[in-house]
Amino acid sequence: MAEVKFDEACRIYPGTDEPAVDRLNLDIGDGELLVLVGPSGSGKSTALRMLAGLEWIDRGSVYINGKDVTLSPPQDRDIAMVFQNYALYPSMTVAQNMGFALKQQGIPKAERMKQVREAARILDLEPFLDRKPKNLSGGQRQRVAMGRAIVRSPQVFLMDEPLSNLDAKLRVQTRTELADLQARLGVTTVYVTHDQVEALTMGHRVAVLNFGVLQQVDTPAILYSRPKNRFVAGFIGSPAMNLIDVDVSGDRGLKLGDLDVPLSPEVAAALETSGPGKYTVGVRPEHLQIGTEGTPGEVSVVEELGSESFVHVAITHQREPLNIEVRAEGETTIQRGDNVHVAFRGPAHLFAPDGERVGD
Amino acid sequence: MSESTDVADFGSNRFVRALLSASTYLLGFIFFFPVLWMVLNGFKTEDQANGTPVFFFQPTLDQFRLVTESIPGRSSFGEVIINSFVIVLVSTMIAMILAVPAAFALSIRPVTKWRDVLFFFISTKFLPVVAGILPVYIIAREFELLNTRWSLIIMYTALNLPLAVWMLRSFFQEVPSELIEAARIDGASLRSQLTSIVLPIVAPGLAATGLLCFIFAWNEFFLSLQLNTSDAQTASVWVTGFESQREDFIAKLSAASTLVVLPVVVAGWVAQKRMIRGLAMGAIK
Amino acid sequence: MQVEEQTSSDAASMARSDAVKKMEKREAWSRRIPLLPALVFVILITQIPFILSIFYSLTEWTVNPPRPRTFEGFENYTFAFGDRFFREAAWVTAKMTFWAVFLSVLFGLGMAILLDRKFRGVGFVRTLVLTPFLVMPVVASLVWKTQMFDASFGMINWFTGQLGLEPFEFVSKQPLWSVIGVLVWQWTPFMMLILLAGLQSQSTSVLEAARVDGATKWGIFRQITLPHLRNYIELCALLGTIYLIQVFDHIVGLTGGVSSTINLPFFVFRTSIGGGWRFGEASAYSILVVIVTIIFATFGLRVLSGLLEGEDAA
Repeated sequence: MAEVKFDEACRIYPGTDEPAVDRLNLDIGDGELLVLVGPSGSGKSTALRMLAGLEWIDRGSVYINGKDVTLSPPQDRDIAMVFQNYALYPSMTVAQNMGFALKQQGIPKAERMKQVREAARILDLEPFLDRKPKNLSGGQRQRVAMGRAIVRSPQVFLMDEPLSNLDAKLRVQTRTELADLQARLGVTTVYVTHDQVEALTMGHRVAVLNFGVLQQVDTPAILYSRPKNRFVAGFIGSPAMNLIDVDVSGDRGLKLGDLDVPLSPEVAAALETSGPGKYTVGVRPEHLQIGTEGTPGEVSVVEELGSESFVHVAITHQREPLNIEVRAEGETTIQRGDNVHVAFRGPAHLFAPDGERVGD
Repeated sequence: MSESTDVADFGSNRFVRALLSASTYLLGFIFFFPVLWMVLNGFKTEDQANGTPVFFFQPTLDQFRLVTESIPGRSSFGEVIINSFVIVLVSTMIAMILAVPAAFALSIRPVTKWRDVLFFFISTKFLPVVAGILPVYIIAREFELLNTRWSLIIMYTALNLPLAVWMLRSFFQEVPSELIEAARIDGASLRSQLTSIVLPIVAPGLAATGLLCFIFAWNEFFLSLQLNTSDAQTASVWVTGFESQREDFIAKLSAASTLVVLPVVVAGWVAQKRMIRGLAMGAIK
Repeated sequence: MQVEEQTSSDAASMARSDAVKKMEKREAWSRRIPLLPALVFVILITQIPFILSIFYSLTEWTVNPPRPRTFEGFENYTFAFGDRFFREAAWVTAKMTFWAVFLSVLFGLGMAILLDRKFRGVGFVRTLVLTPFLVMPVVASLVWKTQMFDASFGMINWFTGQLGLEPFEFVSKQPLWSVIGVLVWQWTPFMMLILLAGLQSQSTSVLEAARVDGATKWGIFRQITLPHLRNYIELCALLGTIYLIQVFDHIVGLTGGVSSTINLPFFVFRTSIGGGWRFGEASAYSILVVIVTIIFATFGLRVLSGLLEGEDAA
């Protein structure tokens, strides 16, 4: 049983005014793979390092398995960490790298080798046990870093962008292997990445951070379909959701160009109660369509991906030009310069002037 | 024709490149010539060495035999070499043992005022040894350390420590902080971090630093002259004894000089690649 | 801006944050411990003589003829400024140090550039060039005096004689430059090593990009290489100055202390145990040398950085 809990945890670097992590409250269940995602400077790595004991926790606490570890040094927290640059000890072989922590614990050599071989077997590292890191490829080094963590049988795995240094194809492949491994081992894992696609595909739940503040923590599906605020809406999903500022005043309804924006009944009702202001309409490219009806515009860019296409259309909205991205299924005959119409395929998201989601 | 990628070569044709290489060889030879000449003179007779330069001669080991013979009233070559080795090796060892943790505390897990500490270390070299000799002499006399090896061991350690700390610190800076963090998480104690992780990485830097300490200590003259008059004489003082007003001495002096510079020259030649790597790492921070 | 709400749970987290602060303090102390042995050792061995020197410098203390040591305040210092021998020595120190550092850095740079190339035997040549630095200074001085500079039989005069020139008495006619010459011979390799390291640490992609952009060899050197070398040159200048201000062995070996080669360390030596036996004065001179060194070290650095900065702007 290894739950992880952040309780009002803060980290303020000396000499700065704004906290790097601002009163983080997060509960992570036993065996869960929780992804911390956000742009650079969002505090995700800092939060991970606070959990690791590599950063002081200036206020608040952190619990591992019910125990308050806020003041414990890293070696007493029973955690293992995989670094972005792998941090393999260059003067040691793969086997020595993986056995290092066990050696610090005083475990005799025979037992150490047994555990190292077991972890090596899981990760297909057995042929490399006698090699030094400089003689390994990037992917192999990444696996050694994983192996070093697994051997410890810790309560929590911490991973700081472990796939960022792999090339794209290897990254996708390793992603699934990693998620599979975590599921098999069942160890609670906190995973940091800046890549939201990685976050959505791997995490049981995903926590989105921005400027040190937790924006939303939910399953990937909910993050995608019900983003809590404008930031999460624009951050999650690739390509990004179209976010359009709309001036809502009493007589004018909610319009995109000359198109009425469809809202679900709850959202419409909530809009009524909130009243006029500068709102933001959010609609994903796949919830728009190009056809004969809707607001008119001219195609500026067509991105053909084979399985789908993304068409950028320049429309006029509130008397200003505006670019919207629309998804089209399969290949398309639409070309740059074509005059088309853009219509909604479903209800849109709505965000209040303060950025919060309108409705529920 | 193949273009060399070195900047000095770029845009040059093969002839110019050959010319550059030849000039480099020539300059190298010119630099080395005084040393070469000195060594050659050691193999000549005094007549050959003291007059008009002689280029072709029958080499003889007579001078070497003469200078290594025991002469009453003068420290023998064997004694002097042993003194130098002991003093220099011990002081270098002590300096490294003290400097390694200090450098650690100025780089990987730095104390807050590390810049001030670094400057303090360097500032201790601002007082010339020649100027500070009087108090040193008095104190050495108080502690009965005159004419012993320990006076020089202590002084050389103190003289080399600032350089050692400074250079080692730059090498330690090269160690990625992630490695230290990984070691911390793996439960390594401070000592374990140092010995298992840091030292293997900075080993070339250690060698370069140790070598420089060795060179400066071995070649030191003034303190040795002032603090040790008869016992515990070092090679540097011994060799100056061959300069003479009464007789021709160049051949003997050359032989003695050759013997005395040999250890450091050999060490420098063998370790020069390490020294360059070491100095490269040491310079940038 | 964060608004701090004072609730009871905040009180608890304030308490914990104190515990964190205490741990930070303890950790800070544990960081100092590895530093202490070296620091204490250096302080003991170097500062005690330094403080004693300051003390002696404030006294009048001569030993020959022996007189009781009396406290004189700053009189030694005021005397020093007025003493023309002291001023001479300071001036010699300035000249000697400046030219030795400047020329050895210059030649060191030249050699480094030549040795940065790849050709057969480059390692061998580098070894040859390195050797002068490894030679004991006293040996170097004696060898140069008797075998290189010697007016009758020295190698230089033999060589110029082959060209038909008259022999030149280097050490007697130009003692200071003879000393500087040997210093440059010995320190150029050291500078070369550092600068070679600097040259080899250049990023090849940057150099290649410059060539693609059409830069000339000289242009690349001025605008890319020199700025990159700035740190290395500064290091050379700093270390060089620190060591070269203290030159002593070479003066003894080459000129035996001829007046135009007396720098401050030698002058202090002469005044104290080298014949003058005026310890109070000598100590005052020593303290002044320390101050001079600090000025030199910082001035030298600034001048060099300024030069490079100026080049860049142009």
